Amino acid sequence: MAPIGVDEWVARSGDRRDQHSGLRGQLARANERVGWWPRLLLVGLVALLYGKVIVGGNVNYAQTGFNVVLYAILALGLNIVVGWAGLLDLGYIAFFGAGAYIYALFSSHAFGNLPLDTGGVLLPAVASIPIAVVGVGLLGLLIGLVALRLSGDYLAIVTLFVGQAFAEAVNNVAPGTLGGANGLFGLKGFHIGSAIIGSTLGYYWFAVIVLLVLMALLHLLDTSRTGRAWRALRDDPLAAEVMTIPVNKVKVMAFTFGAIVAALAGTIFAAQQSSVFSTNFSAQTLILIYACLVLGGAGSIAGAVLGGVVVTVAQQLLSSPIDSAYLFYGILVIVLIARVRPWQYLAAVVAAIVAFGFAAHAIVGAISHRAIAGSPGSSGWFAGALRHFVIVPAGSPLTYGNVLYVAMICMVIGVVQLHGIRRLVAVVPTVYVAICCWEARLTLDPGITAQIMIGAILIVTMAARPEGLLGTRRVEVV
Amino acid sequence: MAPLLELDQVSLSFGGLRALTSLDLHVNENEIVSVIGPNGAGKTTLFNVITGIYQPAGDIRFDGTSLIGRRPHAITGMGIARTFQSLRLFLNMTVKENVKAATYGGTHASPIESMLRLPRARREEREVEARALEVLGFFGQRLQGYRFDQPAYVLSYANRRRLEIARAMATGARMLLLDEPAAGMNPNETHEITELIARLRDERGYTILVIEHDMHVVEGISDRVVALDHGEKLTEGSFHEVSNHPQVIEAYLGRNPEALQK
Amino acid sequence: MQIFISTLVSGIVVGCLYALIALGYSMVYGVLKLLNFAHGDLYMVGAFVGYFAIQWFGGATALIIPVPLLIIFMMLIAGFGVGALGVAIERFAYRPLRNAPRIAPLITALGVSFILEDSVLLLFGGFTRNYNTPAFLPFRQSIHIDGVNIWSVQIIVVVVSVAMMFGLRELVNRTLFGKSMRAVASDREAAEMLGVNVDRTIAITFFVGSAMAGVAGVMSGLAFGQISNIIGFLAGLKAFTAAVVGGIGSIPGAMIGGLAIGLCESFSSSYISSQYSDLIVFALLIAVMLVRPQGVFGQPPLQKV
Repeated sequence: MAPIGVDEWVARSGDRRDQHSGLRGQLARANERVGWWPRLLLVGLVALLYGKVIVGGNVNYAQTGFNVVLYAILALGLNIVVGWAGLLDLGYIAFFGAGAYIYALFSSHAFGNLPLDTGGVLLPAVASIPIAVVGVGLLGLLIGLVALRLSGDYLAIVTLFVGQAFAEAVNNVAPGTLGGANGLFGLKGFHIGSAIIGSTLGYYWFAVIVLLVLMALLHLLDTSRTGRAWRALRDDPLAAEVMTIPVNKVKVMAFTFGAIVAALAGTIFAAQQSSVFSTNFSAQTLILIYACLVLGGAGSIAGAVLGGVVVTVAQQLLSSPIDSAYLFYGILVIVLIARVRPWQYLAAVVAAIVAFGFAAHAIVGAISHRAIAGSPGSSGWFAGALRHFVIVPAGSPLTYGNVLYVAMICMVIGVVQLHGIRRLVAVVPTVYVAICCWEARLTLDPGITAQIMIGAILIVTMAARPEGLLGTRRVEVV
Repeated sequence: MAPLLELDQVSLSFGGLRALTSLDLHVNENEIVSVIGPNGAGKTTLFNVITGIYQPAGDIRFDGTSLIGRRPHAITGMGIARTFQSLRLFLNMTVKENVKAATYGGTHASPIESMLRLPRARREEREVEARALEVLGFFGQRLQGYRFDQPAYVLSYANRRRLEIARAMATGARMLLLDEPAAGMNPNETHEITELIARLRDERGYTILVIEHDMHVVEGISDRVVALDHGEKLTEGSFHEVSNHPQVIEAYLGRNPEALQK
Repeated sequence: MQIFISTLVSGIVVGCLYALIALGYSMVYGVLKLLNFAHGDLYMVGAFVGYFAIQWFGGATALIIPVPLLIIFMMLIAGFGVGALGVAIERFAYRPLRNAPRIAPLITALGVSFILEDSVLLLFGGFTRNYNTPAFLPFRQSIHIDGVNIWSVQIIVVVVSVAMMFGLRELVNRTLFGKSMRAVASDREAAEMLGVNVDRTIAITFFVGSAMAGVAGVMSGLAFGQISNIIGFLAGLKAFTAAVVGGIGSIPGAMIGGLAIGLCESFSSSYISSQYSDLIVFALLIAVMLVRPQGVFGQPPLQKV
């Protein structure tokens, strides 16, 4: 007789896992067999490929690559505090900024403005980076100690203020030294002796090396007793304390490590930009870092890095109108493919949209020529095809576009409330209105549209996968 | 010989509510002492006070050293580990990780050493792994093999209780405080738990303080029984003495003595 | 003395507005444990609704309806409109995340905030508009105390705010809905198993909270004139602070917190410096939180050990 409690169903779960068919199953099994460092090498390879092949002298691509790696590093640091230790630090940006500003102070003539006029303290990077990192590390320690009194959402708000206060302080206090609203510029880049990193691509390589080393070190840390202590702290601080974990010390450690990583990122950022401004460290930037981490999967190193890639690339795409259009239509297609199953329904819906569009265009055109005289906002090869599809009045009047925008929002919300066949039917006019709105209105204000799309992406990705791309579902005991 | 754990006139109040009043209690080495009492009698508060979650008036001594004023992780490091009445596992960590997490206090590698896998860190990891396997092995096949890497939230209720005990064992403690280890278990599982507790003392030499409601368990394992009500000790002695004490019968078992005979 | 009274008055006015927004924060936090960072933007939308209501009724200088009626209409339209918007947001953005880890709805809230701010920017442009209140509620319509003029608008704001707060208190403490709201806030699963319609309760909570923010927006426009699409951020931040300092989840706490922040801001702006007044408020907050981490009226997080 089987002993009570042995779960045969569970025992065979290993077999069931092997039954995942096709590519997904193979990838999953390969993932489990392989150790962690080949995966790290893969990341390194991708970075190498990007830098050598794709960049090819194009400064914009180099800048994008650099931004990606920078945000990946920042997300990794935030992951320690938020993902592993579960402490909601909304002031993380202050560590980033402090690191950048300290580097700036020691790499410029900022101190030369003081009455002592030492002619500025220009230290080589080998000295100024550690000063920044250690200094901010101490700041992290301090904030950590303060955080001991607070928990959960109260911690969030106090750290939020520290972050806000930092931006305000650096903007208003001691404008002679800190540069005030104009910031500090003309910073000397990373150099040892006479060798200096001068180009964005150079900083890209530097940042890639830092990222790889950091990923390795953090993984080793995660699988050690410290990582276990952080994860225990996140799950149940009281139980952790009773199980020999010095919760206070571990909390402060998390803050300190996070601060150190952010400071390092700050120095690299300041050196690459050759300047620092208080606006570099606004709430907007903090939100981006959080988006990187949460979208990628909080608690996972690979997730933080992937999130950095996804968010930065999306942001980059959104800043150019042509790429924005690709992103918009691309997302439309992906959402349809992902949500309309099986493929027969998908084909029917797409056909219906096309038919609906051409029909609507023709009907409205027959009624009033002016109503379709305008041209779609997108440029490029599909503008021609769209001309007979979307309804864009002559002169692209804003009112029409605005009404369309409001209609689109209402219809999208409406579609989500419906189910089954009614939803599929409602999707057709909704998608058409969305495309018309894009072409008639949203393309006219690419900057604003980019922000709206970021907001929409955040909402939709969280609704679809709250744990992030590479995160795991957690059980939370409230 | 001096008792391993000694409570001396321990009192605790929450505002106007007297949770514990002048409590004297002792547990000798290798003893199994059960604490019984109606709900709200202060039994779990007793555990909370011993493990340092609340600071009481009076003195608590473990192996001669006072525990008053120490933080919980330090007290556990001194040799007292507990389980919780409502389980408090690290649900998102695996079975093995739950157990390993509790070894933190006994290891000393710094984060730098861990990151660089220096010799001390590696040695301690090996020891921690060995300890985890050893502790989980105590429970037979229940928490073995494929279970090691399962997150704790997939475990059944009985297995979760076992894991909590395993985690407490992993801290390297000499004394275990078990808070209602048999709560919510069917007769078979209850029997297993009873045997388990006895084995903990006989095979591993633990000193055990148990809170229990199930009289069969109490009867089966206890060297001594302490009865509490309203934060005060009513009486203590052997199971037979305590269960026949009129105040205990009235306060806990109700006026119906047949509850005992079941 | 005059400066003191006028500072006091403007502090109370601003404080009332913060309190109204903070109440919405606290209510939503209570039932969903969610810090709705988009709440401040609902206040902004309310301000715009009020502005367009004025234009619809002829514009500030050529109103076609009597002023009291205008004000009532503005508040009703903003209240119901923004309330409905809040319900739609909850349904669309937050409901899928009911059981998700706490950090996910935070990101969603940020996304909603982006969309609200930038939709207004897209539809109405980024330039500041002005209610031009003195055109229909002249300054000379004031009460005089000690040589200080208290403008009729300020009185309206305080009266309406206090009325709404009292109404809310009655709603929460005396009605069945209030009871179900408190039940859901306490333990959502248990409430559901006892027959409380959790979805509806949460929706109504959002409605009430958002409506209050909307009305606060209208009153802000009336009292301070200028509105733009970014006023939501700072106001939301301060109201959020007020809610937390008062004890998040606590209704009297949000009221007291809002007044406290308003007075703090007013006095530090008057007597110290308007440039640093924000920093001073922040610093004071951190101090309060360190002394009493759960906020003035908050409960320390209860743990059954």
